[in-house]
Amino acid sequence: MDFASLSTQLLVGLSRAMILFIVCAGLSFILGVLRVPNIAHGSLYMIGAFAAYSIFTHLGSSSSGFWLALILAPLVVALVSLVAERALFCHLYQREHLMLLLFTFALMLILDDLVKITWGPEYCSVLAPNILRGSVSMFGASLPRYNLFLLIVGPLVAIFLWLFVNKTKIGKISRAAAVDREMVGAVGINVSWVFAAAFVIGCFLAGLGGALVAPTVSICLGMDHDIIIEAFLIVTIGGLGNIWGALVGSLIFGVTHSFGVLLWPQFAIVFPYAAVVIVLLLRPRGLLKSVW
Amino acid sequence: MLRVEAVEKSFDDFKAVNGANLVVGKGELVAVIGPNGAGKTTLFNLITGQLKPDEGRITFKGEDIGGLPPYEICKKGIARSFQIVNIFPRLTVFENVQVAVLSQQRKSSELLHPAHNIAVEETEVILESVGLSGKALEVAGSLSHGDQKILEIAIALGNEPELLILDEPTAGMSPEETSATMELIKRLADTRGLTILFCEHDMEVVFSVAQSIMVMHQGRTLVQAEPQEVRRNKEVQEAYLGGE
Amino acid sequence: MFRGITEKRLLWFLAIIFIVLLIFPSILPRFYTYIIALIFVTSLLAMSLNLVVGYGGMFQFHHGVFYGVGAYTVALMLTKTSLPVWVGFVAGPVMATVTGFLIGWFCVRLTRLYFAMLQISLGSLIWAIAFRWYTLTGGDDGIHGVPMPALLSSQNNSYYFILVILTICLMAMYLIVKSPFGRTLQAIRDNPQRCEAVGINVRRHQLKAIVIATFFAGVAGVLFVVLERSVFPDLLFWVLSLEVFIMCLLGGWFTFAGPILGAAIIVSLRTFVGIYTEYWTLVLGVILILLIFFLPEGVMGYFLGKFRPLAKEVAHRSE
Repeated sequence: MDFASLSTQLLVGLSRAMILFIVCAGLSFILGVLRVPNIAHGSLYMIGAFAAYSIFTHLGSSSSGFWLALILAPLVVALVSLVAERALFCHLYQREHLMLLLFTFALMLILDDLVKITWGPEYCSVLAPNILRGSVSMFGASLPRYNLFLLIVGPLVAIFLWLFVNKTKIGKISRAAAVDREMVGAVGINVSWVFAAAFVIGCFLAGLGGALVAPTVSICLGMDHDIIIEAFLIVTIGGLGNIWGALVGSLIFGVTHSFGVLLWPQFAIVFPYAAVVIVLLLRPRGLLKSVW
Repeated sequence: MLRVEAVEKSFDDFKAVNGANLVVGKGELVAVIGPNGAGKTTLFNLITGQLKPDEGRITFKGEDIGGLPPYEICKKGIARSFQIVNIFPRLTVFENVQVAVLSQQRKSSELLHPAHNIAVEETEVILESVGLSGKALEVAGSLSHGDQKILEIAIALGNEPELLILDEPTAGMSPEETSATMELIKRLADTRGLTILFCEHDMEVVFSVAQSIMVMHQGRTLVQAEPQEVRRNKEVQEAYLGGE
Repeated sequence: MFRGITEKRLLWFLAIIFIVLLIFPSILPRFYTYIIALIFVTSLLAMSLNLVVGYGGMFQFHHGVFYGVGAYTVALMLTKTSLPVWVGFVAGPVMATVTGFLIGWFCVRLTRLYFAMLQISLGSLIWAIAFRWYTLTGGDDGIHGVPMPALLSSQNNSYYFILVILTICLMAMYLIVKSPFGRTLQAIRDNPQRCEAVGINVRRHQLKAIVIATFFAGVAGVLFVVLERSVFPDLLFWVLSLEVFIMCLLGGWFTFAGPILGAAIIVSLRTFVGIYTEYWTLVLGVILILLIFFLPEGVMGYFLGKFRPLAKEVAHRSE
């Protein structure tokens, strides 16, 4: 194992971690405010990828098509989630927790089949724009440009999210709702709309993750299952509802997985799980402070 | 029997209990009083293990019990009721008490004998003594608030405790219910030889029943003494009685 | 042993059902016998889950793993080793129980949502391993044509075998639910904090419940192999687990027999809806949403609720 393949693999792991982070940040955000692990999150990620594919091909598979897809696909996902939230989900906020959880599961089942109906079972792919194709040589290793691009996008999303949560009014309200929802209701803020906003923003991030991952994988049915399970693990080790925890968890997961690929490709998946088990043995409540 | 020495507990920056001292002798009926937020419930939670103390010692019959999990503390002979009704709402009244009796008899994990033949007599005796026999088969969640508070005490009795801790046993009760409940508590103390530690809002009740009163203010123990002496205490009058 | 728990009339009723079920294979077409046997297997799985969910109040979201582990264990033992058949039949539930203990040990330390998420994740690891370990498990294809002893070779005989084992398991579960252990478990479901305060080690009790439930899930896994003669990774997949969860919800999880009803409804729906459309999960999702909105206590719970005054009277008489 030489330095070049090691650093390439590290880059792949880190860029995978960025995708995971964006998805998990959305999951964690919803979890923090609504206290529901959104099981449909993976499906929304998948819809993001498929929507990016459709927009991309409609616009003649051009570079500008890619950029537009990157912006529009997450909005499509946000719209889907808004419809689901306002039509059904919002009527359940007063109910037992488990019902909310099961609703997101029902949503997953329905969305999965709708994706199958809309896009069919074929594999689809999206091409990255010209400037992001190929790779650059650095320190004797060849590093794929698109992965470098992801390394820039990930921290950008993290910064935006931080600004959003800490500096905007709605972010502050949703943070307060995570800690004390009675108080938010008491000061005259419509809690239902805070929840709706949180849900839609979280789902938007899932869609963004899906659109970003589109050029690096073949888009297919079933891509939702892998990501949601990984996302659950990451959020659990990161600390429920803690966005920075999601970042740390994603990094651990992405990097251990990519080194697993080097060491034992067939069972690479075992490595991040082992890391998770170790983390949970040492800190059963996650690495960073959970919001609740 | 129970001794609490200089116990402290804080949540983030807030010191909920800041130097509490308490002595409960065998067979005594001891009350803890203090305004809302004085740390009474927190103190009880520290004694029965729902919370772990940051500082200080809690000993029961000479044994250090500070920081043990609640189920260990219960097995040492301390049972409690809660301020906010804390029962098993989907079980019947009978089953509510039986769960505690089974635990006391170390039979909670028994698998092969039907539960409805076990610990029946003990459970019925307890229900009889608190006056809930007539409602034994009702689902606990459907009882009136007053009955649920009584059921709280009955569950605690199921553990055959030496020390019974009652957190505002009459909270939310009507005046008639309150005096009936206090009668019940006094009777239990006499007939079962129980040591009882309780906290209570109603001053009249406290001063008529308790043999010793501990006054808490802002997480701190002001004084623990006999009722007459507490009444005369200057500090207490300023901090608490004077305020009403 | 059962006297006093149940009314005599109910026992007669159950005996008649049992006899009817015994006659079924000789009067029904092969396909229906198969579906009924599949309902039996799935019922056992759903019932075992309900021990943890309905009685224990834990969010056991990946129960299918233990079913799959039981099935894979017996399939592997029968195809890859020459040990006697009964060893395989015992090994299935035992392996499921061991897995249940390991995963449960991690999960019971966590609060409910953590519990659910961690269990889905850890269970998926087992799925991923079964999926990728091609040389051992056959990967995506699974293992087919698991040899069965001559006694179980015909479908009718497997039907009887499954029925008998199911009956034994149901009796055992009924005893467990009615035992002090089961009663304490329900108390934990209602109020874990209070249970700690009456001297119950809640975590240990929950772990025991998980271990017991996973044992029965493992038995269900063995029965699945007896019926199907094959295993495949879908048995371990978390969507199956959630489907079983829906069965409990649909039938009514605060009732003992509810999950059987739920399993019967879901299995038959899947079979007959599957004839007309390939979008079964869409149908399942819609069913789940309808349940959440209109029948949160399940079908059985709904009817018991409607007739509660009556049920209470019956309870009075039997005490």
